[in-house]
Amino acid sequence: MKLKVASKILGANDRLAEENRRIFTESGVYVINLMSSPGAGKTSLLESTIKALSGKLKIGVIEGDITGTDDAARIDKLGVPVVQINTGGACHLDANMIYEALGDLDLKSLDLLFIENVGNLVCPAEFKVGENLKVMILSLTEGHDKPLKYPLMFQESAALLINKTDLKPYLDVDVEKIRKDALSLNPATKIFEVSCKTGQGINDWTGWLQTLTS
Amino acid sequence: MHEVSIAEGLLATAVNECKKSGYGKIEKVSIKIGKASGVMPEALLFAFDAMKPDTIASEAVLDIEEVPLAGICLYCEKNFETEDSYLLCCPHCESSSFRVISGRELDITELEVF
Repeated sequence: MKLKVASKILGANDRLAEENRRIFTESGVYVINLMSSPGAGKTSLLESTIKALSGKLKIGVIEGDITGTDDAARIDKLGVPVVQINTGGACHLDANMIYEALGDLDLKSLDLLFIENVGNLVCPAEFKVGENLKVMILSLTEGHDKPLKYPLMFQESAALLINKTDLKPYLDVDVEKIRKDALSLNPATKIFEVSCKTGQGINDWTGWLQTLTS
Repeated sequence: MHEVSIAEGLLATAVNECKKSGYGKIEKVSIKIGKASGVMPEALLFAFDAMKPDTIASEAVLDIEEVPLAGICLYCEKNFETEDSYLLCCPHCESSSFRVISGRELDITELEVF
């Protein structure tokens, strides 16, 4: 017996992502799915962002890592609500992991929720978790060839932060090529050059975040 | 890398569709995978076979149809199709403004059940 079906393979994840999105909208919280390679500076960017927006926006964080609680401890020190998810090996967060973490956050008290995905330039781009926007970081030490090697993440991200600009004098990296290739993959992407170390560019980024949540 | 998650979603959907229609065993699952979906057919087959024991799809065959990446250029308005996984510009006029028509599929199309 042949059964014709027309189902999305990731339909279960997509439906749950929509449910998360409904909960976020009802709670009045704007949600950003933050993605990058390991070590590009996701947690450092969150630290800089939380400090810069202190007293302006109420921020919460969901931390996704394969194992460990180091990132959540760094965010907790800044006095904002944080939940750590350990995927136990999975290379990305999915909608169900986020759904289960929501019970530990008072969403109605937040303006902005960051979901820090597992460090990985490939898989997180494939799985919706219910976010309003995807944002990615590429650090200069990773090299200018990354947009064309990992195109999906650049195509899916509404904003690209080019981090570690303070290291530019020491690196043979072509920032203009990163910009040009990222824009050819996604002409609508918003690009910010930042250094979490020196604070350069952080105000432009946090200014943009404030326009999203106002 | 995440083919195990995809195989999990695939098995759950197939089992659900089969039971919903009142059948108890799956013999074949036919799917369409777009060339630009980021999923490797060989890795998906491996994950599917590793996860199917102890389900009603324990003897099921996974049949994968690969769909090429195709689109229409918004500048020269010509259609195109490629065997590549990604395109950065229209192959005719090199404009970077184009709309993808197919190639991102991750769909189940047919089940053989009894």
